[in-house]
Order: sequence, then structure tokens, then C-alpha cells
Amino acid sequence: MSDAPALALEDVHTYYGQSHVLQGVSLEVEAGEDVALLGRNGVGKTTTLRSILQLTPPRSGTVRLHGEDITGLPTHEVARRGVGWVPEERRMFGHLTVNENLRAGVPPDANPDERIERAFERFPDLREHRQQEADSLSGGQQQMLALGRALVGDNDVLLVDEPTEGLAPLIVEEVVEALDALPEDRTLVLVEQNVPMALELTDRFYVIDHGEVVAEGDSASASLEDDRIRRYLTA
Amino acid sequence: MTGALHAALAALEAVPLASIGEILTDLADLETLVGIGLDGLSKFGIYVTIAAGLSLIFGLMGVLNFAHGSLTMLGAYLGGAFMLFFVSSATGDVVTIVFFFCTMALVFAIVTGLGAVLEIGVIRPIYDRPPLFQILLTFGIVLVLDEVVRIVLELEGIQSSTDWQAARGTRPDEILGFHEVFGISIRAIYQFQTIVGILVVVATWWFLTRTRYGLHIRAGSEDGEMAQALGIDVRRSFTVVFGVGAGLAALAGVMLMWDPRYGASVPLGVETLLIAFVVVIIGGLGSFKGTVVAAAIVGLVDALMSWLFVNHVDFAGLPELVMFLVLVLVLVARPQGLYGVEEVGGH
Repeated sequence: MSDAPALALEDVHTYYGQSHVLQGVSLEVEAGEDVALLGRNGVGKTTTLRSILQLTPPRSGTVRLHGEDITGLPTHEVARRGVGWVPEERRMFGHLTVNENLRAGVPPDANPDERIERAFERFPDLREHRQQEADSLSGGQQQMLALGRALVGDNDVLLVDEPTEGLAPLIVEEVVEALDALPEDRTLVLVEQNVPMALELTDRFYVIDHGEVVAEGDSASASLEDDRIRRYLTA
Repeated sequence: MTGALHAALAALEAVPLASIGEILTDLADLETLVGIGLDGLSKFGIYVTIAAGLSLIFGLMGVLNFAHGSLTMLGAYLGGAFMLFFVSSATGDVVTIVFFFCTMALVFAIVTGLGAVLEIGVIRPIYDRPPLFQILLTFGIVLVLDEVVRIVLELEGIQSSTDWQAARGTRPDEILGFHEVFGISIRAIYQFQTIVGILVVVATWWFLTRTRYGLHIRAGSEDGEMAQALGIDVRRSFTVVFGVGAGLAALAGVMLMWDPRYGASVPLGVETLLIAFVVVIIGGLGSFKGTVVAAAIVGLVDALMSWLFVNHVDFAGLPELVMFLVLVLVLVARPQGLYGVEEVGGH
């Protein structure tokens, strides 16, 4: 692996039709680093993740993965290079069983049973429902499955979007534990509205506002009272 | 009110109440029931082979392929052409059967390849356009394929009503002869259609539920974007499914070439497309399970109504009329079809 950052966005501009959503986002995430993307709703955090994955490809700017320019690559090629995604709405394959959802995330050259077993060890609740369709799971179980599905892959960069949204406090705890237990060498980019939790889980943060990075810093020294964060999070 | 409906009502009026008892008495006869059942199974075999591809293509890609019937028509002509090429008067029975299976494999392979080329070259560029574009495009493919076949037939001086009898003459006797089943004499081709239909169902089910590629196709049909984000090449799945769907349509065409009820003709495309749409809509767009169940229902209804027409009701359009009536009833009671989901299409 090169000395280049695990992930680097350089002056990324992304549009939805005529709407100019990302207006020159630049950020870097080192290998093994955990980074939070903070900001109000609709400022471009999710679009940043979608631009990394090339689901909504940037019109200009560059996305680099370990130094390699991945801008314009098909999404499945980006994923195969080691970028995992846990989307905001969980995006289960609702008519597939828990087992099949997990199996869909296993790379072709890996042993699926071994990988799935690993996910069940992390989320034992899923094991009991392995033959159940994902649509029939509770919100919390679906979130476990979304995380599990990303963890069975060979991802060294994990993009996690609002993982605790709408979950009961007990389930939130389990999600936080799972994110906290990620291997040291796995890079995490976390979008989360719960700022104290996001800061606790990450090493650094970026604040995004109106499609631009407007502040950044170390998570350990930051808090909700931090002016860099507060001015962009309060309405 | 249309003329066809007038004719249908007149035909139904011609069935006095007294003869309903007669119909029921006839139906209670085991031999009659077995005959209708076997006919229904053969129709199930044809319908499921044609509709499986149409359903898979819609389920994964959200594309209603109007050219599907034309691929069946193409399969029928290619099947006839290959057999004319392979078989001569000196060819023995066993060798003829081998050639017949080779023809089926060849036609399946060629039209699968053609389907893949069509998907990559013509359909792929318009995935992001509204469905109307896909409908117009695939309808355009129907016109092109039909005209190409007409031109080739014209250039070769082939008359569909006479020259293809020669192709029919190449059929193996084992396939077109009569066999006894439960004391009923039935054409072997009908049993063959049943067997092929069942094999297509089992193979497709196995492929979709027991293989890694099938899992990717099912995942892609539910959420194409998420599937791509897991490293699944959904576009390649599109090509494979479109190709195999086209190949299955052509496979059905080969069987229809030697079926006395059909044969090879350019209108065969529209005829089979209509039935395939009825099956796929009743089953629920994009649901393979629904397609199998609907093909069985439509096959049996068709067989029962054909028996009624032959024996009791003097109205040739009865099978189609009742088939479409079943379609209307299902749509009124359950607009998404028997096993349909409200949203399908993975991109």
C-alpha cells in the first residue's frame, strides 16, 4: 500500500440535474483513520459519500483511493477496490433472506460461510433470523444486517451514513459498539447527526456547509460547544 | 360494443341451460379431464418458456421487451432452417433426433447471443430514459426483425404456408407422432413441450436461488444501486438476463415450429407476445414464481376453453376471450398481479 491517503477528494463538484450540490469539496482520510462528516441536513454529506462511490459521479474534481484516481469508474469497480457502504435507509434486499443479504456482500474469492459466521458472531441476533426475509426484520435488526453486509466484504474504507437514525437507545449502543470494534486498519467515514457520538467514534471531523468543507479538526478536542461546529449545526 | 364481444355473447347464448349439465357430465369423464389436463400442461410448457424470459427481463431491468415475441418467431424460422440444412431423406431416425436437439441448442445459443448484442448495443444507452423510450425502442426492434425475416423469406422465395411443410417433414417422428398416455392418444410434441417447460422452470429456479450469479440477479432486481455498491456488476447481469431471456423465447419458437397449432409465420411474434404479456401480468410483473403459476392457470384455462369450443360452443375466439377475462378479473382484484410487488426494476 502506498503512502497516499486512503481517500482523497480534490475540489469535487457534484450535481443532481441542475442543482449544484457539492461545490468544491476537498478532504483527506489517512489509512486506518476514522473521520466524521458533520453538518445540517441537506448540505451535501450523503452526496459526498455517493460521489466517492461514483453513484452520483462528480462533474469535476478528483476522487482518489490509495492514490488511484477512481473518478468515473463504475460503482462496482469502486466497491471491488475496497470501499464499503452502509446507506442511510439501510437498503436491504427485502425479499432476500438475512443469509442471502449477507452472501451478496461476500467477495467472489472468499469463503461465504466463514464470512457470514463472522457477521453472526458480531451480531448474534441475526443468526436466529438467518432464514427470514429482510423485510420482516425490525429497524434495529435491519441496521445490524446493513452493517454486517458491509463487514463481510474486503473493505478497507467503510462509508457509514446515519447508522443510528430512528433506532432505540439499546440498539444505538450495539451499533456504536460495532463501529468501535472495527479493525484498527479499517478506514471509517461516518455521517452522523448525533455529534457527541460521532466525535467519540472518530479521530477527526470535517464540517460541510452548502456543499463545501468549512471546518475541520481533531475529534478529541472538539465538542458541540466548539464554535467551528456550533455555528454550522444550529439553524 | 365490439363485434367480437357480440359474437362471444351470441355464442354463450347458444349454450342453453340444459347443455350446461351436458358439459358438466362430459367433464366428469376421467378421459376428458386427463385430455384437458395434458393439453393444459403442454400449453403451460410453451407459455412458461416464453414468459420466463420476459418476466426476468422486466424484474431485473424494468424493461418491457416488446421484441420478445419476434425472438420466438425468429427461433421458429431458425429451427426450421437448421433442420432443413441438417436432415435429408437419408437421415435415420436416431440421427434426426440428435439433429433436433442440436438445433434447439444452436438456436438457443444464437438468439442468446443476439439478445446480448441487442442489450449492449441498443437498449443499454436508454436505461436512464423514461419507460416510453424502451417501449418505442423494443417496438422498433419488432418492426426491424419482422421485416428482416420477411425480406429473407422473399429473397429465398419461401412461402410460409407451403415451403415450411418441408421443414415440418424434417421433424423426428418421435417428436410429432402420437403416444398413449393414461389411455389418451396425444401428440409427443405436446409432452415434449411439457417436459421442456418443467425443465425451464427447474433450471431457472435453481439458477436464481442456488447460484451466486442468481443471487446477484435477485439482489440487482431489488436494488440495483445497492447491489453495485457491494461490487456486483449489475450491467453484466442485465446482459446475461436479456440474452438468456431471448434464448428461451427462441427455444419456445423451435417447439412451436413443429406444433400443428402454430408453425412458423411472421405473425407468430405478436401472437406469442400477447400470451406472454397476459401470463406475466397475471403472475405479477417481475415475479418468476408468479409467471410459473400464471402460465399454469392460463394453460389450463386455454385447454379447457379449447375443449369447450371443439365440443360444445361454436366460437373460435373462446379461449382468448376467457384468457383476457381472467386477466381483467385478476387486475381488478389485485392490480399488481398474483405475486407482484408494487415497485420493480433495479435501476
